[in-house]
Formats: sequence, C-alpha cells, structure tokens
Amino acid sequence: MSDAASAIIPPTKSRHLRACLLCSIIQTSSDFRNIGCPNCEEILQLKDNPDRILACTTSYYDGVIALIDPEASWVARWQRTAKYVRGMYAARVKGRVPEDVEAELDSRGIKYRPRDQSDQD
Amino acid sequence: MSDNEDSPPRRKLYDDDEDDDSENEGSEQEEEAAAEDDGNRRKPKRAKHRHKRDALSRFLDIEAEVSDEEEEEEDLSSDGEAGFITKEGAHADSDQDEDDIAGLHHARVDKRRLQEENRTEKSAEEIARELADRYGRGSGFGSHRRFTGEMSEIPQRLLMPSVHDASLWQVRVKPGREREIVFSLMRKSLDLEYTSKPLSIFSAFQRDSLPGMIYVEARSAQQVNQACNGLVGVYPSRGIHLVPIDEMALLLMIKKVDGGEKVVPGTWVRLKRGKYAGDLAQVVDVTENGEEVGVRFVPRIDLNPREDDGGGRKRKKTPSAANTSASAMNPTSTSRPPQRLFNFEEVVKVYGRNTVSKRGQAYVFLGDTYKDGFIEKDIKLNSIILEDVNPTLDEITMFSNNANNLEESMVDLSIIAEASRKAALAVLQPGDHVEVFQGEQAGLHGTVQEIHGDTLTIIALDPSLHSQKIDLPARSVRKRFKAGDHVKVMQGKNIGETGLVVSVSDSHSNNRNSDNENGGAMNENTIVTFISDMSMQEISVFSKDLREAAEVGNTTNVVGEYELHDLVQLDLETVGVIYKTHQSSFLILTQHSQSRLVQPHQISLKKSDKSTSLHSIATDSQGFEIRVGDMMKEAEGEQRKGRVLHIHQSHYAFLFNRDYTENGGVFVTRARGLVSTTPKGTLGGKLPPGADLTKMNPAAAGGAQGLGPLNTNTNANGGGGLVGSAIGRGPKDRLIGAHVVVIKGPHKGYVGIVKDTNGVGLTGIARVELNTGNKMISIEKGKLHRKLPNGTTEPVEGPGANWRRQPTNGSYSSMGPPSKSFSVDGSGNRTPGWGNASGGRTPGWGGSGGGGRTPFGAGGSGGRTPFGAGSGRTPNPYAQNGGQTPAWNTGSKTPNPYSAGNQTPAWNVGSKTPNPYAQGGGSSSAWNVGGGGRTPNPYANKNNSSSSGTGIWGGATPGRWGSDNDRDKDKDGDGGGGWGSPTPAGSGSGVGGWGSDSSWNAPTPAFAAPTPSAYAPTPAIPSTPGFLHLINGYANPGFGSTPAIMDPMYSDYGNFAPTPAIMPPEMFEMMKSRAFMDQFTRDEYVPSPAWLTDPGLSSHLSLLRVRITGTKRDKYLDGVYDGLHARVLAATKVGENFEQTALVKIEGKVPASTSSDAASSSDNPSDANERSFPMKYLVPVYPSYQDSTAVILYGPRRGSKVKIRQRPDEGNRTELVVVESIVESHGGSSEGDTGGLGKDKGGGAFWECQKDWMCVCW
Repeated sequence: MSDAASAIIPPTKSRHLRACLLCSIIQTSSDFRNIGCPNCEEILQLKDNPDRILACTTSYYDGVIALIDPEASWVARWQRTAKYVRGMYAARVKGRVPEDVEAELDSRGIKYRPRDQSDQD
Repeated sequence: MSDNEDSPPRRKLYDDDEDDDSENEGSEQEEEAAAEDDGNRRKPKRAKHRHKRDALSRFLDIEAEVSDEEEEEEDLSSDGEAGFITKEGAHADSDQDEDDIAGLHHARVDKRRLQEENRTEKSAEEIARELADRYGRGSGFGSHRRFTGEMSEIPQRLLMPSVHDASLWQVRVKPGREREIVFSLMRKSLDLEYTSKPLSIFSAFQRDSLPGMIYVEARSAQQVNQACNGLVGVYPSRGIHLVPIDEMALLLMIKKVDGGEKVVPGTWVRLKRGKYAGDLAQVVDVTENGEEVGVRFVPRIDLNPREDDGGGRKRKKTPSAANTSASAMNPTSTSRPPQRLFNFEEVVKVYGRNTVSKRGQAYVFLGDTYKDGFIEKDIKLNSIILEDVNPTLDEITMFSNNANNLEESMVDLSIIAEASRKAALAVLQPGDHVEVFQGEQAGLHGTVQEIHGDTLTIIALDPSLHSQKIDLPARSVRKRFKAGDHVKVMQGKNIGETGLVVSVSDSHSNNRNSDNENGGAMNENTIVTFISDMSMQEISVFSKDLREAAEVGNTTNVVGEYELHDLVQLDLETVGVIYKTHQSSFLILTQHSQSRLVQPHQISLKKSDKSTSLHSIATDSQGFEIRVGDMMKEAEGEQRKGRVLHIHQSHYAFLFNRDYTENGGVFVTRARGLVSTTPKGTLGGKLPPGADLTKMNPAAAGGAQGLGPLNTNTNANGGGGLVGSAIGRGPKDRLIGAHVVVIKGPHKGYVGIVKDTNGVGLTGIARVELNTGNKMISIEKGKLHRKLPNGTTEPVEGPGANWRRQPTNGSYSSMGPPSKSFSVDGSGNRTPGWGNASGGRTPGWGGSGGGGRTPFGAGGSGGRTPFGAGSGRTPNPYAQNGGQTPAWNTGSKTPNPYSAGNQTPAWNVGSKTPNPYAQGGGSSSAWNVGGGGRTPNPYANKNNSSSSGTGIWGGATPGRWGSDNDRDKDKDGDGGGGWGSPTPAGSGSGVGGWGSDSSWNAPTPAFAAPTPSAYAPTPAIPSTPGFLHLINGYANPGFGSTPAIMDPMYSDYGNFAPTPAIMPPEMFEMMKSRAFMDQFTRDEYVPSPAWLTDPGLSSHLSLLRVRITGTKRDKYLDGVYDGLHARVLAATKVGENFEQTALVKIEGKVPASTSSDAASSSDNPSDANERSFPMKYLVPVYPSYQDSTAVILYGPRRGSKVKIRQRPDEGNRTELVVVESIVESHGGSSEGDTGGLGKDKGGGAFWECQKDWMCVCW
C-alpha cells in the first residue's frame, strides 16, 4: 500500500518551512495556513489560524526526511510517522506543543512525545 | 462514535474489538458510519467532485470511463480500506453506469463477507489483530482524520531496525545541497510513482550535522542508485555504502548540540549580527516554541545623525522602521554609536517628538521598544550566541547600574557564575584555599592538593578529618577568603590589583531574588571586598577572580596603548613621561617638571620611540651626543644620575633612576646640563685595560685622531678604535645610510639603504632596507657594494672601499701629506686610498678600513706578498687588523717567526702604528707580530735584491709600490717612478721612508710621535720578506735566510725578538691550502678555437705570444712545431666553413722542413719562420713573469693591455694575478717590441685578473 495520501511537497528553497510540533511534517507556513497539518489538523486546528500555526509549528528542526513509503519504511516507524501521510518530515523538531494540545492529547489517552528526542525510551 | 476510533492505544483497541466480536456486521456498519462521519467535512467537496465527474462521464467515451475508473479506484484505495467500502456503498446506487465496477465491488464485498464468516473460526485475538490492522491503515483516511498518536506508546527501543527492514544507504552529495536533494528525491518518487519505473526507495533523509551525505532507505543499493540517478549534486560514484543495522537508529538520534534548551529568562547572550553584534543581552522571555527569545540590551542610538542623508526628519518618519533604524543608528558601517541607555529627552531632541511614542512604560522609537532605557526585542534563537558568552563585570554593571531596585532582580549573578563556571575552574590552583558549598561535604574547608580535570583533591582542614584527602567535583567548591587575607586579582577589570580583604559577602542581595534552583549556584561565588594596595580604595570582586598572593604591586604598567615611561604628547606645548599608571589614568611628568594626573583620552598622542626619541639627539654639557639609554648625571645642582628615557626637542631630557622615589624615579632636566657618567668610550663599550694609556698619551691620542674615522668604524680595533670613538663620539658606522647594491646571494641586484651594521670587515653584517618591497635583510658586508653618485659601485668593505675614509672630520687633514704624496704617485683617483678607484682590487690603504693595515694592502696588491696571496682576494683580513686571516692569526700566536719579520719599523708606521705601541706594545705581542707580518716586506725584498734602499719599507705603505718602482728603477734607471716618488725608498736611507722624509713626519705627529721605532729599525726589513716569500712558496732563499736584525729601538719595546724569520710549517700549509681553495673555486677559461679573431684583440694582435699545441696529436705538419711559441702576425676571420688560420712567426729554432711545407711556403716563402697556422693549434701563453705585459682575452676588460704586477704561479691557470692597466696614451709604438715597461709611466688601475684570461705579449 504505497499509495497513501501525500502532503504538499514544499519547494526546497522556501524560507518559510516549518515543522509541525506534533507530527514533524514540514510544510511552508502558507500551506499550513491553507490546508493545515495533513496529519494532526483534527487536533491542532492550524488551518487559517496563523497564531496557531506559530504556536504549533516551528522553523527549528534538524534533518529532513523524505517519507516516500511510510508504511514500509523503518525510518518512518522509528520516527513514529508510519501512519502519516507521505511527505517531508523533520528528524528532530525543537519545542513542545502548546499546553492545551498536550491536555487534549492527554484527555484522549495519547501519550505526547515531543519531537525533540528529549525523552527516548 | 466508534470505540475503535476513539481509542488510539492498541491495547484498548484490542479490548474493544473483543467486545464487538459478537456483532461483526454491526461493527462494520458502525465503522462505515464513523467513516462517513469522519469524512463529513470532506464529503461535500468530494461529493461535488464526484457529481461533476458523473455528469461529465455521460459524455465521455468508454476509454475515458476506463481511465476514470482507474482514477476512482486509486482515489478509493488511497482512502483506505474502510473508506473504500464505505464510499463504495454510499455511491454504488448512484453510479448507474458503472455496473461492472459495482459488480466488482460486490464481489469484493462478498469475498469480505466470506472472510468474515471465516473469522468466526479464528481466535478472537487474530480477529482483533486484523481489525487493528484494518483500522490502523484506515486512519490514513483524510487530512482531517482523527489524530490518534499512533504508536506513541511503543517504547523507542522496540522500534529498532531488524533484518527484515530495508537498509539505509549512505550516499555522498554535494555539501550544502543535502536538503535540496532529499526534497528532490521526494518529488521524484512522486513523479515516477505511476510510471513504469517507480522508485522503490522508502525514504531518504539528511542530518544537518552530517554534511555532504544523505541516507536512503531501500532494499538494495541498486534501487538507491536508480533513485539518485540524474539528480544534480549526488555522487553515487563515490560509493553507496550500507549503514550497519546497529547504526541506523543512531543516525536519527543525532542530537545537535545547541544551547537552545538552556535559554531561560535571565540568561546572558550575545547578539550575533547587525549593529549590536557582540553586545551582551539578557534574555527576558522565551517564546513557547523556543525559537524566539525576548532580549534586552543597551541600545546604540546615534544621537549625532548625519545631516546629509536627506534630512533627519523625513527619514525618521519613514514607516519602514527597519531601514531607518539601521540608518539612524548606524550612520556608517565602520563606526557604531556607543552603547547608551535610551533617554527620551535626548532622543526627542535629536529625532523629533513624533518619532517616539509612549506605550505604557515603554517607548517606541523607530519600531523598537525601549523600556527602562534598554531596547527590548524578540530575536530569533539563531541570531544570538549562547555559548562562551562570558559577560564581563563591566557589561553587567551596565545592566545593573542603571536599573532601579526593581530591575536589580534581573541581574542574576548566578547566571554569570554559571556562565563562567568553567572559567572559574581554570582559576583554581593547587594550594588555593577552598570551601565546599554543595554536595555532601558542603561546608568543608580545605586546600587544593591536585586538580584532575573536573575533579579536585583537597586536603581537609577540619581537624576532625585528620587532613584527609577528599576528591570533589571542582564545581562544588569555591575559593575561600577571609578578612585579612592578602589577595591579588587574577582576572577582570581590576586585574593585577592587590590588597587586603576586608569583607567577604555571600552576595545576599542576589540570593534574595533567586528563589529557584539558581540558589545553589549563587553560592559558588562570594563577593570579596578588599582594599587596594595602590589606590587605597575598596574593590569588590568575585572570589573566583582572586587568589591569595604575597606580592604587592602594580602589574599594570600598560594602560591601553600607553606604557610606563612612554613619552606622550598632552597638548601642543606639553609632553610628558608616564611615571605611574593607575587603572585608568596616568601620572605624567611634563617637561616642565610638573606632575599631572591624566586620563588616557587626554593624551593626544604617544611619541613613538622610533620616530622621535631614538633619533632625537642632544648634546651634553661637553658637547657630546646624548642618546636614549645613556647613563647621565646632572653637571650641576643635585647631580642626579639617571638613564636617559627620552629626549625632547634636543633640549629636555627625561631621566629615570629607580633610586629616586619622587615621581616614580623619573625626572626631567636640560640636556645641556648633563654629563655622561661613563668617561669616554661609553659607546665603544669595550675598554681594554690599556685604554687609559692611550688616553694619557697625547701623541697616541693624536694619532688616533688622525686615524679616527677609520678606526671608529671598527670597534674591534685596539685602543685606536676606542680613542677614536671617544673623540668622534659615536660609533655609528658611516655605512649606515649608504645606498648599496647587493652583489651576491639571493638578493643580488637589489638596491637598498644600510640601516644598521654589526661587525666589521667583509663578514660584518649589515641590515639593509631594500628599496623594493620595504624589506629588511641582513647581509654580509662583503656582499654589498656601495652605490656612488656617479652610478658606479665599490665594495663597502675591504679593498677598494675607500669611501669611508673620505675626510669628514678632519682626521684626514692630519694625513694630509701622505695623501698628497699618494696622489702624486699617479694612481689616479686613489687619493688617500690606494685601492679605491683602480679596479677596486688594491687593498692598499683604502682596503684597510681600519687605517692601519696599509702594509697589507700593499702586500695584497703586490700580489706576491705572502699574505698577498691570500690577501689579494680577501681584503678583509687586512682590513680588519689582519686579525682575521688565518695566517695572520697563526702568526700572531707564534710571535717568534714574526717577531723576526716584524721589526720593520715601516710597518709600524704605516699601519696602526701609533696605537699598538702607544698602548704599550708589550701587551699585545701578537699584534706587534702582526705588524711585522704585514710588513710589505716582500717588496722590501725586492728592493733589496734590486739594491734599492731598504728604506722602501720604511715608506710603509707606499713602500710596497716603492719596491716596484725600485725595480723599475733598476731596469730603467729611473728613480722617479710614479710609485717610487713618494717613497723614501728611493733615497735608500736606512731610516725608512717616513723617517727620511721630513715632510711626512711633520704633519702627522701621530705617526711620528708614538712610534719612534718606525723610523729606526729598517734593518729588520730584510728578514721579513724572506718569511713572506716563504709563504708564497717562492724560493727566495736569500731573503728567507736573512736573519732579522733587531734594531736597538725595538728592543726598547721588548716585543721583537731577533729571531730569524722562520716560517712555521703549519702556517705555510695553511697559506697554501688557502691558496688552493682560491684557485679551485674559479673556472678555467678555455679560449675558443677562433679566439684570435676576436675583434677586441685586434689592436694588440701582433703582440700576442701564442703557443702551438695539439699538432702532434693531429699530425699536423708532423707535429714538429708543437710546443713552440709564436708571434701572431695576422689573423683574420674567414668564412665559417673554413678553418680559421693565423699568420704567425714562430720563434726559436725552426725544425726541419717537412714535406708538407707547401702551405707555409705559399703563405710566406721568404721567411721560413712565418707561416700560417690553424688557430685551433694556437693557444695563448699565460704570463709567467712579473712585469711582463699581457693582453686580456676575456672578461669585461677584454682587449686591454696590462702589466703583471705579481709573479704568477706557474702551475695554476686560474690564479688571480694582480695587474696594472696600462694607459694607452703612450701609443702603440712605445709599447712596441720590447714591451717598454719602464715607459709605462703611472700605469692605470690595479686589479686582479685570472691568469688564463691573459695572453702574454712579446
């Protein structure tokens, strides 16, 4: 099943690339604004919400992963992005999601894992 | 809502599934419903799309439908299984046209049902797993599907790669393009997805910390290669390397070390770029995502904006704050305004009221917010520096000083302590008294025993611990001081201050505000207050910057660019010398003897040593020159002594004497009122014990004065040099400042100016500033030629270097007579110096820089003097007292042989005469010997042999020439030869030339007075020559054997033993070897076969004496002529194809005519001796006799005629022979057949010529 939905692949040279703090997908800020985060829009509500985008995405990330076949890829599994759409992901994202998101995740019983590799078990 | 969807964790899923197990259908339907529900937002859009497509599809042909179908399939499949089914169900009815498809789907559904039925046979867990799989996949549904945070429960370690996973491959790429290439791979894979050759890689990634490589996840390297093919900047050719499985995870776990995490409010950071680059800033807050920090720092507002940029007002109103603020605050990129807290009034005054608006407590000016004087700004994390901030106390005080009490809390010293923790570590040293402030041992005191990295070993001072050694982390201790300790500041603004500790505080004021974990760190540094030993002021510093020190003192002699004892200009009229430095001020003694306290900015400039002091010259009360560094004392008044620090305007002298406490030992006085504390010779510096004698002997002094200029150049001289320097005041080599050209070595051809000299003679070193490239080189003087105004050059040292002696300070006047006489001698411009003009070779007088060396010089030019052999080439030895020539030295050590020769009074006269003797000849027997050694004796010999008066020698220098002349006289009977004339030799008086000629004696008391011996001891002469001849290897038994006859006068001196002249064998060897050395360093000159046709030789062609050689080998004319000499009659160049021949007249017995005589008879049948000879058989005959004439065949003087002035050595072709150029004015006729040596009056320059460059004349 390689034909999963794919995120918009941002232009390489874009200066406004940002990574989602929750799923680490990389998009331009305008894409975040237009379509939101393809993986976590339901919880982050980024679409048309620039403030939210600023809070939930960051331009501080390290390493770019081109995730072509998330399900088959070990890299995706390791990064816990195997169930996400195809696209560009960051290997490491600095920062944590806002507290309300964390609370929401918590209420859903989802363990929040910051993408900054600060806690690896 | 389905439970499934709601419960992301697997475990839950599983449970739910079990619950649902009984009603599969139901769950399925629910699922569908859920899916629809989930897809709510998307549905309208989708339905619309769908509808449109359906409407269109009616008008499309079957193929289009097919393709449409496919697309549909993709769409559906991409929606995931659950969605597929759902939608299929939802739309199946409406899609009337797509029966087939519907059928297909029904089939699928059927199949599914079948499976579901089978499921009942499966275990519940299996079913659950299936479901989980299904739902898991289904979660890829749309962009708005519910976020489930998949897998976040699984520990990372369980995600480690296994062998079943695809491998990672490392691919080299162009550094800097890693990210771009990863993006390209992504796009490429999407582009090629539905082509016949889709990429089969799973992922690709790049890490910022691994430049130049990307990693591709794929099953095989081949797939990687295929993926990378065609991408610019990827270098698969450099290898696609498999990443070991255990390293795969590490690649993704790389954590870039960045301090972003530790940015907390209060942290000190530095700004990276812009106008404030490098400025310290304090973090005020950090944005949630941590990418921007709010910092505050001291603004740099330009309060003097330039007027020229379109009027400030207009500019200020420009809305684009970025630009204006940049221009307003940074008028030029080179200078930035100083740091200054924002002041509303000032800014308004300069920029106008409209530019500043007030918002609450803050002002907004040009888009920036200013609060409490600071600028507050949100800055991206990557434009601040977090590491190695090391704020200085100065910078921090800028934040603290201006802050009110409230703000004080912002200055958290703990953070500084934190930042400088490492630095503090380095400050700890064994022996430091420390106390432990954290950890188990908190409160313990001890002294540091050892330091191992971060671990300290301390010896506890607590008596209960019995001096136990304890290892501690270094960061847990702090230096401990108590009141009364004497401490020294090791770093910071107050570095170097020492003082007594008066209080130690735990910086409570800061602790008060730190209620957090910083409290612990607070304790690391206490603030120690001590009273400075120097300023008697209280100074507070961190304890880490202190250490106990016994010394008291001010180590800060340098403030800014000014140093203790610098001469500085305060204003136009006032200069002063810094005699004390404080932290930021100086005490300066002005030239008016006033003491002033000045700040560095009050100093208008520092008078650099180079430009002023070093070259400023003043004269003392006795008219002597004062130089910086001289020890002087006041001639009157307090008679203070001191070392000259500076001389100002040749009038004021600043002196320093550490014995005076007043003004730091610096005092100022009039230069005119000073007198040197060191009696004469300060500058020479090397006063031999005998020097006093010299001074006391007026005659000697006079003599020295006469020779002064020469001697002063060579400090190595004996007393003469000293006396000379005392009088001449200043050993400054006159070479300094001379324009010279380098004649040897890598800098050959470079022109420069001599800046300094060290040492005398050819081996002395001169520092030459090259005209090119502003470069200083050190080079031996022997490699320098002086450039004369007329464009010619001459050696700066050694023979031919006469320039030094150009009369400058009248010393020459005393030499007057001799110089006159010399000029008479016809050697042209050699006045005073022999050597100088004439080919530069004659070491003569001129050669001897020291003045004394005359005899040698003579010898050298004579060529034959034993010394000459060596000396001819190396004028040095002679120039330098002769002391340098090995031969000479040897000689000096063995007084005897020399003493025999020594005695020539002439020698004494000529050379340094006065001095050695004046100094008490007894002290330097070697020297005397030397004197003897240098005697021109050889000439004396000749004179003797020629029955000319022994007195020649007496003539001292000229004597040598005199000898030649005498010779001539012998031949010609002409006593008035050019050379002879000055020499008393002609007179033959036993008293020596000088003595006999009153005119010489009179003007030069120097000569006459101190060395009475000079005149007397003529008899000694004969002996000397013998010795010298021996050296030369000349068999001159007659002379050699002559015992030296001691004149009674000499015996007075006791230096000269009447030993016969005997050459010590070793010396002989030495001389010989030296000669050989010289010989073999030159190349032999082989004349070309057609050498006789050289146009340069044409005028002398008929004089040339040639030898016939090589005919035997070639059987030319049976070789009968081989070895015979011949006179060239004619030689003309013929065509290249023909053999060059010359008409020669063969001298000597003509061998019997052979059968092959035809040629010769045809050439000149009348004379059997004249015949034509191929030139290749004719070689030049080298001169072998002194005074023979020769023609130069080669070299710059080719074609000129010379007279041999030195008897050539027979065996050696390349020997250098002293020759005298023959002035051609006499016309060819006079030089005719017999050579007419005697008629060559005057002669030309003397120089040296390699023997085989010459062809002797008939």
